Amino acid sequence: MSFGNYKDKIDEGDTVILYLSNTLYAIEVQREIKNKKGDMVEYVFQTQFGALKVKNLIGVKYGSRVELSKGWGHVLQPTPELWSLTLPHRTQIIYTPDISMILLQLDLVPGSIVIEAGTGSGSLTHALIRRIKPHGHVYTFDFHEFRANTAKEEFESHGISKFVTAQHRDVLADGFGEDLIAKADAVFLDLPSPWLGVPHAITCTKDQGGRFCSFSPCIEQVQKTCLALQEHGFQDITTMEILQTELKVTKRTVPVRDLSFLKHKSSESPVEEKPSSETSYVASTWPANVAGHTGYLTAATLPPLFRRSKAKLQKQHDTSSEERRDSSDDGKMVIDESKC
Amino acid sequence: MIENDRIYVDYIVLQKQKYKKLIKFNKHNLCVNIGRDTINLSGIEGCFFSSVFKLYSSSGKKNREYQLELTDEVVNLKDEIDIRSSGIDNRNIIDDGMSQKLTTAEIEDLKVDSNKASDIVESLIVNSNTFHNKTEYAQEKYLRKKEKKYFEYIQILRPNLRIIAEVMYKLDPIKIQGIRLDTLSQIMTLANIHSEGNHLLYDSGSNGLLAAALLSAIGQNTNGKLVHIHPGNMSQKQALLAMNFQSEHYNRCVSVNVYSALRQYYQGNDTNAKSHHVQNPLKRRAEEKIDSKAKVAKTNNEDDNINITSETLQTNDTNTNMEPKKPKWFFDNVASSLILKDKMDSLVIACREDPKNIFMELVEFVKPGRPFVIYYCVVEPLQQLYSTLKSQSNIAALKLTCNWMRHYQVLPERTHPEVMMNGASGFLLSGYVIS
Repeated sequence: MSFGNYKDKIDEGDTVILYLSNTLYAIEVQREIKNKKGDMVEYVFQTQFGALKVKNLIGVKYGSRVELSKGWGHVLQPTPELWSLTLPHRTQIIYTPDISMILLQLDLVPGSIVIEAGTGSGSLTHALIRRIKPHGHVYTFDFHEFRANTAKEEFESHGISKFVTAQHRDVLADGFGEDLIAKADAVFLDLPSPWLGVPHAITCTKDQGGRFCSFSPCIEQVQKTCLALQEHGFQDITTMEILQTELKVTKRTVPVRDLSFLKHKSSESPVEEKPSSETSYVASTWPANVAGHTGYLTAATLPPLFRRSKAKLQKQHDTSSEERRDSSDDGKMVIDESKC
Repeated sequence: MIENDRIYVDYIVLQKQKYKKLIKFNKHNLCVNIGRDTINLSGIEGCFFSSVFKLYSSSGKKNREYQLELTDEVVNLKDEIDIRSSGIDNRNIIDDGMSQKLTTAEIEDLKVDSNKASDIVESLIVNSNTFHNKTEYAQEKYLRKKEKKYFEYIQILRPNLRIIAEVMYKLDPIKIQGIRLDTLSQIMTLANIHSEGNHLLYDSGSNGLLAAALLSAIGQNTNGKLVHIHPGNMSQKQALLAMNFQSEHYNRCVSVNVYSALRQYYQGNDTNAKSHHVQNPLKRRAEEKIDSKAKVAKTNNEDDNINITSETLQTNDTNTNMEPKKPKWFFDNVASSLILKDKMDSLVIACREDPKNIFMELVEFVKPGRPFVIYYCVVEPLQQLYSTLKSQSNIAALKLTCNWMRHYQVLPERTHPEVMMNGASGFLLSGYVIS
């Protein structure tokens, strides 16, 4: 229940982040846990610094130090960023640098309605919820039934289920559903063929227009998506790539080699021919192996309805469902015009 | 559509192709300069945001003064101009400066006489010896370039954080300490800025961009508060005002000078504030005046704000019998000090000074278990601070990162990274405060 608002103390049922000198673990605080035989036993969490009796965490203040059998660590309340680093992977996940950009590109603020497909392991979903609560809502879809259900249970146990609706649905085949027609401020797609989702995204975007963003690892997917976006009258289509590198800060002491004395004959005995002194720096180094690619982000704006229908005139082919929506929208437009 | 979607007298963004400009639309017939053109904005008020307007010349094209006319369709040069043939490659194209038969003077006349961009470009193509030998791609590129020059439409957009950050970065990155869009987005997530809690920002100059970013993530009608600490006499607010926040939202950001705020916090009310006032009467008065002017132009929330702060003051029971006329900054200092007493849920620092002392002082206000982020445009000060903090026991998950971002041109058969990218993103030092 610890993903909602900030709290001071750990309660039973919370998920906590245990921080041990650069290793992070997510632990669900329970007194007992099922062992391999299916019996309930006391929950003892094993770390590199020895065992942690999980029940001892109950009542402990977040941010404080906890003792392990062979050392100590700190307990933190999970943020979406810490969760992304510790969550159980059911799929490949999107990490904080891309997540941050997605949130900004989708123009999300508290109160926004956002659609996400697919849910995956829920890494982005947690960050979306954090940004849109308390008035907004996330609708997240996955075509994998087990993943969709697991995500749903996870949101419930994290205490954030009132901000999110997780559904099992193949959105490329079936769309986002009747309930979401013209409801969303933003649509995010992380799917193998995002271009097929573009018409569905339009159906769900509010009449005032909205933002679209898609995450694809391959440039071929990006090309098809961009074409689809252009055909459907999106504007400001941009594709970008984000990388983040963690620098390693080290203090380096290096020898100083003095060579100038060689110019002159020394009166004294020959100087020892090796480095004469040392100097030190604080230096940051780029790691030898870093992530060189995560995925391409393609973002675009869907204009408001009154501009959209004009853009659509140029369109060659429409799916039938869209045409239906078009005509109903045209009706709405007329009413709007008379109002103003 | 709701009324909120209409253009009213406030900040707006004018977009012409890829160029965007942030404009304070403070009178109905405001004139703005876009490149060498002057555009009169009368007539846009009351239209919906995202409306497109066609530029038409009001007093002869020579003056480059334009009026706006609401339009439904944007005509692309590519759709207007029919290209019959194109070459296979450029082996026969020689750049001898002779390919265009029209002289510069003739082209100038053409610009004045034609009322459509496509007419001008069509004449240019007809009079070009080489155009039809160019490859299809080269022709398209030529049209794109001409379209950029003769584009006759503008669109009015509602400002939001993404657009403001982009416009300000393109205009002059130095004015916002070089905080690029990706870095800005990460500051917001790494500090876990969201709708609840008290957020603390130290910003020594980003034209209000960071305050705008944080306040936008704190959101409208929520409980979150932002204490915006700055070293100057008055806070920089351009981006903050450009967000067109409602007063309820805007007033949850308290902007205070770092010296007065901390003095107020540690040494208490009145006496020092007064002496401060006496010490520096001219500057202080100037601040008040400008402050209130900005407010009147935006919303009349000055009064609301004083109401709120005086309410909190009364609960504080320190000084119930106040003189009626105290400057706004006084109430802001008191308000900030009350929030700081509650302790903060996040700390963001983007400074031009050495970050160490600032961090060490401000981290005392942060609750254990909460995140912090420090931005600096070069790495050295953060390296030093990293080493210092590493040896302390009150910081966990310390991380020094740098960012990289690249845009792509995506066109059929011609997808590649943009030729220019921006290499300067600054560095972030982030972590969690522990007890």
